[in-house]
Amino acid sequence: MGRNRAEVTIQTARDAGLVGCTRCGKVWPQQTHECGRCGATLKRVDNAGLQAVWAWWLAGLIFYIPANLYPMLRTSTLAGSQQNTIIGGVVELVTHHSYFVAAVVFVASVVIPVSKFIAIAYLALAVGNERRAGSHRHLHLFEVVEFIGRWSMVDVFVVAILSALVQLGAVVSIHPGPAAAAFALSVALTMLSAQSFDPRLIWRGPARTTGS
Amino acid sequence: MTDELRPADLETSPAPNPIWTRLSVIWLVPLVALAITLGIAWQSYADRGTLIEIDFADATGVRPGETVLKFREVEVGRVETVGFNPDLSSVRIGVRVNKEVAHFVDNEARFWLVRPQVSAQGISRLDTVLSGTFIEGYWDAESAGQQTLFQGLDKPPVTPDPTKGTWIELRAEDAGGLAEGAPVLFRGITVGRIQNLRLNDADSGVIVDAFIDSPHDRRLTTNTRFWDTSGISVSLSASGVSLDMRSLASLVQGGIEFDTFTTGGTFIQNGFPFRLYSTAEAARTSIFGAGLAEPARYTLLFDDAIEGLQRGSKVQFRGVEAGEITDLSIKVQTDSTGTRFAQQQVVIALSPERLGLARGTEQEIVNEFLATEVDSGLRARVAGVGLLGSTLVIELTDVPDVPPAVINRSAKPYPTLPTTDAKTNDLAASAEGVFKRIDALPIEELMASAIRTLDSISAVAESEDTRAVPGELAGLLEQLRTLTDGLNQRGASEKAVAALDGMTEAASTVMTEFEGLAETLASTDAAAQAVAEMPLGEIGNKIDGILADIRTMLGSEDAERLPRALSDTLEESAALLAELREGGAAEKINGTLLAAQDAATAIESASERLPDLTAKLESLVTTAERLVASYGERSAFNAEVLDTMREMRRATAAFGSLARMIERNPRAFILGR
Repeated sequence: MGRNRAEVTIQTARDAGLVGCTRCGKVWPQQTHECGRCGATLKRVDNAGLQAVWAWWLAGLIFYIPANLYPMLRTSTLAGSQQNTIIGGVVELVTHHSYFVAAVVFVASVVIPVSKFIAIAYLALAVGNERRAGSHRHLHLFEVVEFIGRWSMVDVFVVAILSALVQLGAVVSIHPGPAAAAFALSVALTMLSAQSFDPRLIWRGPARTTGS
Repeated sequence: MTDELRPADLETSPAPNPIWTRLSVIWLVPLVALAITLGIAWQSYADRGTLIEIDFADATGVRPGETVLKFREVEVGRVETVGFNPDLSSVRIGVRVNKEVAHFVDNEARFWLVRPQVSAQGISRLDTVLSGTFIEGYWDAESAGQQTLFQGLDKPPVTPDPTKGTWIELRAEDAGGLAEGAPVLFRGITVGRIQNLRLNDADSGVIVDAFIDSPHDRRLTTNTRFWDTSGISVSLSASGVSLDMRSLASLVQGGIEFDTFTTGGTFIQNGFPFRLYSTAEAARTSIFGAGLAEPARYTLLFDDAIEGLQRGSKVQFRGVEAGEITDLSIKVQTDSTGTRFAQQQVVIALSPERLGLARGTEQEIVNEFLATEVDSGLRARVAGVGLLGSTLVIELTDVPDVPPAVINRSAKPYPTLPTTDAKTNDLAASAEGVFKRIDALPIEELMASAIRTLDSISAVAESEDTRAVPGELAGLLEQLRTLTDGLNQRGASEKAVAALDGMTEAASTVMTEFEGLAETLASTDAAAQAVAEMPLGEIGNKIDGILADIRTMLGSEDAERLPRALSDTLEESAALLAELREGGAAEKINGTLLAAQDAATAIESASERLPDLTAKLESLVTTAERLVASYGERSAFNAEVLDTMREMRRATAAFGSLARMIERNPRAFILGR
């Protein structure tokens, strides 16, 4: 943690009495309300932003439960209809020895969302912790989360495309299950959660918030 | 030093905002999410339906979460669990039934597995090859007696809806060629199916359930008769070979046909028992009523071996067919001295209707009835029917002079009727003997003798001496005329006339009898067996002997001398008459004529009995004719009889012509012309 402590000494915009524009990056004096270059509203770095993160995060988590319990796909073929949950589908793919597809589905539908939840929660907790503030690693983590979060929608897209394409009447037809909507909501909400996170909090550090 | 006390710096910090002011409205989002999720969860919990459990022998193709429960081919539930019942004897399948129909699933509900079926009627439920097994259920629209544990059927029921037809129960001796699902036909149209082939409690027969679809079930009455049309029936008759086969399905699977031969039956209820006959003929002719499932049964024990009795042989009650033999066996018993002996055990079934009791009378009442009959001498015995007694039946009839006996009602399995010795078939035995004797009659010799006799007679008649007789007779008559003249004068003529009248009468009666006799003889050729009861052989022998005697007599010298003696006699008579004419012979003749009149009257009365004799002969002939008619047409024995009769006819024809000749011209017999 010594490295963290060393990094604490980095002077931040807030220390210099400035506020950065989140859109174009230009810094302005703290009392400025509007970016003179791009016209975006300048927001103060504030713990209140964390509430939005937590709220979206919690909503996403709530929707993630039915997304796993309800069937994702309803496949009707001549041989009867079949319903699969996410995990059930993965298990079935494994039993059919489609390990690669199973891995893709598992990563996109389980690993990524779950790690996203963990990552966001970690970040949100970390910015409130003085000792962990001001880390480049946190910034990297945040960038990864923001980048990779949208890929969770792969599952939803697969369901949507299959439902649209595979409509061959009695022979075979695929319908999305209730879990598809829940999963899409869950992914969307976690993306909102990630977007609500103000990365400037990583650098600000709670100690100075109380100290100023 | 400065005493100025500086107040300490007031450490101020902004008053913390109350938590509700710091809360962002963004927190509404997870609240809404939570509400939605809980709502969905609650809804799916509330809609998930009732779990029922169905026991099946096996669960071929049933997979939890995939196999569905269908009602009228509509999915109304889904299998959730597949397990075993506590003693592992069957599979217990848990099915989640939709809420909308769950309350109709009551104790009347039936469940079965639907799989592809290949049967003689074709392949059905081929769709399940692709879609997989599913559970089909059927229940009615009334909900009563809710339950959650059901016993699944082993196979699809004959009909899903038991209200659209009538269930009946068929009872047969054996299942024959019947198989599960075989069709029930009415005039060749499939109107129902059978199922549940099973043995009855006593293992003595088979019970089959049949379902007759509506509206055909209203053709069923208590008089309807069912029979088995399984397989091919081949019958060989005078018109050729007849092959009867209903349908390919009934060849493989068997089939049952029914028809109502008699009217007057009443409509039936579900589960009505019918007897299943083995053939249409048996169904049509059986004396047991269609609905009479269990006739009164009795056991008969015979000491003697009875060869020729068989299952299905008739039982006659005082000559009326009243039942049949249902079983034959041997019963080994031990007598008082410990010796083992075997008895023939015959089980008979009696139709109460044929005993004069009401249809469907209980065995107990039949027992009562037979007990009183047994008191008055009713016994069971083996008797032969048919001309030769070749067909044996059981006869329940009154036997005179039998030791008293009772019905043993406690005997198992059926009450025992007292039996008596088998009736020897006198008629059959004697008829055979008679025909043998007829066959052995020396007809040829008899005829030869008769011909020889007639030859001798004509030889006598043609002899010179015989021819001389008429001359002598003319003389005699001349004298007689003279005598008569004399008699006339003496008042004797009236008496003579009266006497002659009597004689004429007698003669005409005899003549009539000759005519009757001729008819009798003529009818004899149609029925030589008339002699059935007579020792013809002896008679023939005797006739033979008599004829031989006559022939000897005629052939002897005495006979040759007879004409001469006769003419001598006539001469003597002429002399006598002359003397008489002279002497007081008229009075004597008078007396003689009176005596002759008496004799004529006697003859007349005697001849009056001849018609009776003729009638008796004729009735005998008729009896014999019937006897012969009852034989088959082509037996070897019959052929012999025919030959014999033909010869008899020839013989009797000869007799007939002889008789006719005598009748036409009695004198010719004596005089040869």
